[in-house]
Amino acid sequence: MSQAEALIDNPAGARSSGSARLDAAAKAAGAARYAGDVVLEGMAHAAVWRSPLPHALIRGARLEAARAAPGVLGVFRAEDLDAGLFGRRVRDLPVLASGKVRFVGEPVVAVVAERREQAEAAVALVEVDLDERPAVLDARRALGSAEVLVHDAPWRYEGAVVAESDGPNLQSRVRHGREEATQAALAAAEFVVDRMYRTVAGHPGYLEPQACVAQIEEDGTVQLWASDKSPYRVRQQLADTFGVDPRSVVLNPILIGGDFGGKGSPTIVPLCVALARAVGRPVRIALRYSEDLVAASPRHPATMRVRLASDGDGRLVALRLDAVIDGGAYAALKPVPTVGLHGMELVGSSYRIPNLYLDARVAYTNSVPKGHVRAPGSPQVTFAFESALDELAAKVEVDPIEIRRRNLLTTGEANPHGARFVELRGREVLEAALAAFERRSGPPGWRTGWGIGVYDRETAAGKTSIRLRSTPGGGVRAEIPVPETGTGSHTVVREGLARLLGIDRALVEVAQVSTGALPYDVGVGASRVTAGMSTVLERAAQLWSMRQGDEVVAEIDGGGDERVTSFCVQIAQVAVDPESGEVRVLELLSALDCAEVLHPAAHRMQIDGGAVMGFGFACLEDLRIEDGQVWAANLGEFRLASSRDAPPLKTVLVTGSRGLGALDVKSVGELTNVPVAAAIANALAAATGVRLRELPITAERVHGALARRGEP
Amino acid sequence: MPATVPEACQALTGDGALALGGGTAMGLLLRNGLVEPERLVWLGRIAALGGIAVGTDGSLRIGAATTLAELARHPEVLRRCASLARAASGAANPRIRAVATLGGHLGHADPRQDLPPVLLALGASAEVTGVGGTRLVEIADLLVGFMETSLAPDELITSVVVPERVGRRDVYLRYTPNSHDDYPTVGVAVDVSVAPDGRVMGARLALGGVAPTAVLVEGVADALVGRAASAADLEAVAEAARSSATPVDDQRGSAAYKQAMSGLWAVRAVRAALGGADER
Amino acid sequence: MRARFTLNGAPVETDVAPASMLLDLVRERGLTGTKEGCAVGICGVCTVLVDDRPVSSCLYLCGFLDGADVWTVEGLVEREPELADAFVECEGMQCGICTPGQVVAAAALRLRSPGAGAAEVREELAGNLCRCTGYETIVEAVMRYLERS
Repeated sequence: MSQAEALIDNPAGARSSGSARLDAAAKAAGAARYAGDVVLEGMAHAAVWRSPLPHALIRGARLEAARAAPGVLGVFRAEDLDAGLFGRRVRDLPVLASGKVRFVGEPVVAVVAERREQAEAAVALVEVDLDERPAVLDARRALGSAEVLVHDAPWRYEGAVVAESDGPNLQSRVRHGREEATQAALAAAEFVVDRMYRTVAGHPGYLEPQACVAQIEEDGTVQLWASDKSPYRVRQQLADTFGVDPRSVVLNPILIGGDFGGKGSPTIVPLCVALARAVGRPVRIALRYSEDLVAASPRHPATMRVRLASDGDGRLVALRLDAVIDGGAYAALKPVPTVGLHGMELVGSSYRIPNLYLDARVAYTNSVPKGHVRAPGSPQVTFAFESALDELAAKVEVDPIEIRRRNLLTTGEANPHGARFVELRGREVLEAALAAFERRSGPPGWRTGWGIGVYDRETAAGKTSIRLRSTPGGGVRAEIPVPETGTGSHTVVREGLARLLGIDRALVEVAQVSTGALPYDVGVGASRVTAGMSTVLERAAQLWSMRQGDEVVAEIDGGGDERVTSFCVQIAQVAVDPESGEVRVLELLSALDCAEVLHPAAHRMQIDGGAVMGFGFACLEDLRIEDGQVWAANLGEFRLASSRDAPPLKTVLVTGSRGLGALDVKSVGELTNVPVAAAIANALAAATGVRLRELPITAERVHGALARRGEP
Repeated sequence: MPATVPEACQALTGDGALALGGGTAMGLLLRNGLVEPERLVWLGRIAALGGIAVGTDGSLRIGAATTLAELARHPEVLRRCASLARAASGAANPRIRAVATLGGHLGHADPRQDLPPVLLALGASAEVTGVGGTRLVEIADLLVGFMETSLAPDELITSVVVPERVGRRDVYLRYTPNSHDDYPTVGVAVDVSVAPDGRVMGARLALGGVAPTAVLVEGVADALVGRAASAADLEAVAEAARSSATPVDDQRGSAAYKQAMSGLWAVRAVRAALGGADER
Repeated sequence: MRARFTLNGAPVETDVAPASMLLDLVRERGLTGTKEGCAVGICGVCTVLVDDRPVSSCLYLCGFLDGADVWTVEGLVEREPELADAFVECEGMQCGICTPGQVVAAAALRLRSPGAGAAEVREELAGNLCRCTGYETIVEAVMRYLERS
């Protein structure tokens, strides 16, 4: 047990009684440890010089002043570190820029010093000679012209999904469906809506800035404590790129202060390892929040053209989505095989659409590399689709509720992407939302209205493992590979195991263990942890009942043949001040279907927190990337919803769904942040006739739209 | 850490000194290396800078070391110039308000702040003391430019004086259409004096967040004094407000939007003051 | 400069760089419950009590410390176990990074306005951001604490 483990011991509440969340006592007492709290003997601190230009050649650097600064142990450029290219799928990301810089904020020089302030002071003394080049800042322009190339030969990168024959600045392209049939159906349809919708980049908004501590042991073993929610995957990336055995890289258990998709990317971990090796001492990198905003994995902005068509009764006949998505300067932060946005590729999944075609291109641009953020692609495309559906309803002169009733899938049908689920409860969830809905009044003189958004998301399990050990007094200890990012996963495991074994939850301990102690886990994300852990617990419980010794290890790869999906219907009520354009959300109602809920408080907070985050996406958040630069570079400018900003919430649970496995569970983490923007945009249109097709929805935009109509 | 005002003035003389009230605004600049003073002069422990007192002439003298939180709650402030308490209670967040001082707030001279337009509308003055003595400066003459005051290097604000106001109705409206805790898109402060028979005897209106400094709008008294506050009169107020606004584009709105909102919210503030109804 | 102050009820005497921040001082003394978040005084995860007032320790200059009475989450929870109990019982947290700041803000609120209702609690806590919970459980935890104390 290394000296650091004692600092990251399982919190005091590990064996707490009752149903209280496992880590609650420690968190409330300030005893919970995160990567930024890890202190190792001899630990040094790193800080980074970042490019002020979006595209430039690195001609040279003058580092003497930095090297001579107090406390400095080393100043490093790319060529000084023995590190290759990183990426979750496409390996195009250097730990420090080499040869050229491709976005404002890209790390170029790293300084290691005894104290953090010393490292930062030395960074201010670094001088880098940059030869500025024209930058390509617009995704559409990047795809349309080879005049400025972010990467000269992106097809050469390991994991690349593009070919030399593909157009310029392409990170990925996903096309599926039937193009000809869809075009024909659009042409023949009685009613068609053809509209462009746009969304902007937003930071995941976790309140713990990224942090990593790396310590290299005598035998070369790398010990890491990192705010990274996919420890086995980052281990593999480090092993691949540094050319070492994965077992020589250990990710130690640590709490994570919020993830939302932003803490799986290799933005600082590889650099931290390289620096620790270079200086021969443990090194901590802890980003300042402004660095996180400027240089770490925000949501992809998208411009989406939706062509949606129906017959005279409002029954959908065709959907075509053409999306141009800004992936930023590197593709490295996207983990899925298509290097696209999964949610984008599932557009229209809740509905019966006989002809569907989508073409989603992700472009390289000279701006911050974009990553996965809670339900990647879904809030963007759901805003577009659900808005288009309301616009279509208006054309057909059918009520927006009725058009959804006519088109929502029911159990037994395949969805338009060919997936078959055990049940489809969209209609029920819609009716439940409507039944619970009560009009609220707005301030005098304001116009009110309400609108709807619909979304469904499949529950996945993924590949994972677990160890069970007996403890004195007839108890069981579950050792799991999953970091607790805040979702309550560890408490879910305790509950699930107690139920499966038929024992009191007070007899169950749960602890995350280091990567060396278990075979694998695919990482937190895609809302898979509850289902993944439940499925592997089921297997483990079976093995436990047949065990010979004191422990068992179980592994699974996926959740089985049956597929389940959950529907979320949101109704937003807004009041609009016609003179200023101010939009106030009077209530945001979320109705969703669920199966067994293992940890009701966490389930509730995923719903509430998701709804508030969706509200932020709809109305508040914009990193304001202009001239390739993030202008909202602190939390005073990039506004996260406070308790006063958050709209009043109402939740309707439609229970009795079928979940996965013996524990009968479904995911909930990436549902309620998705349809919010469409619900608010639709409500705004109902209240004022103003249709905003660009996010965020701001008073100024509403005011402008009303003024163009000659109002008030 | 000076214990008296004269000691503070001495410490501030010459180059390289930085005066601190609560240190919230300066803390940011210090941490980011945007200011690099040779010495910090802490004004927080000077007893003479504390306290809120009513003078024999009915004026309210507020010590510069008064925190925004204290200002928001003080019974004399609430009684005599409630808009000042309101502005103080809406600024930033509870932690900033607990520490930020009136003197530091004014010394910072950030045009997005809530208190300056209120002080302009109330006709307040600042007592400023340097090695050479004390002078009374009207707020408009104190806040001379973007993040710039007319203070000499050795001077500090020792108090703010709000004159006696009888029959005055003061309102502060803070328009924050996006996030409630952000700086306002526009802040409007109004002070009207109304005779018992309802006639408007005087009116002052100031805007925050739409110019390099908080700005007192000209022409408001002309539009309202001795008049019936008709639609045309209010439109004149709106036009005067829009003309005084020279905003810039930022997170809180484009220049054009802020300008339009200056007019709208000026009228709303006047209506609130005249109607006697409580502001939003 | 030399600063003499109390920290979680115990006297401390130490040299401080006047322009350094209280956040770094407490964390270097092992009190890592107080976190660094936005570093611009907005998010509230760095909240500590100074002379019974809630303060952004990321912007609180150590030059002000002489004679101050400072409490961090660790000390407050030891002094008032019901403060932590309320957050545990109401599960007013998820990832926990904002929790120490919420706890300290709750303690400050009780000192200033022990009879606060839900609306005032929501207003007072508006300066403590949370990205995870949606705020409802936090408000409930603070109400529970106010009721109990």
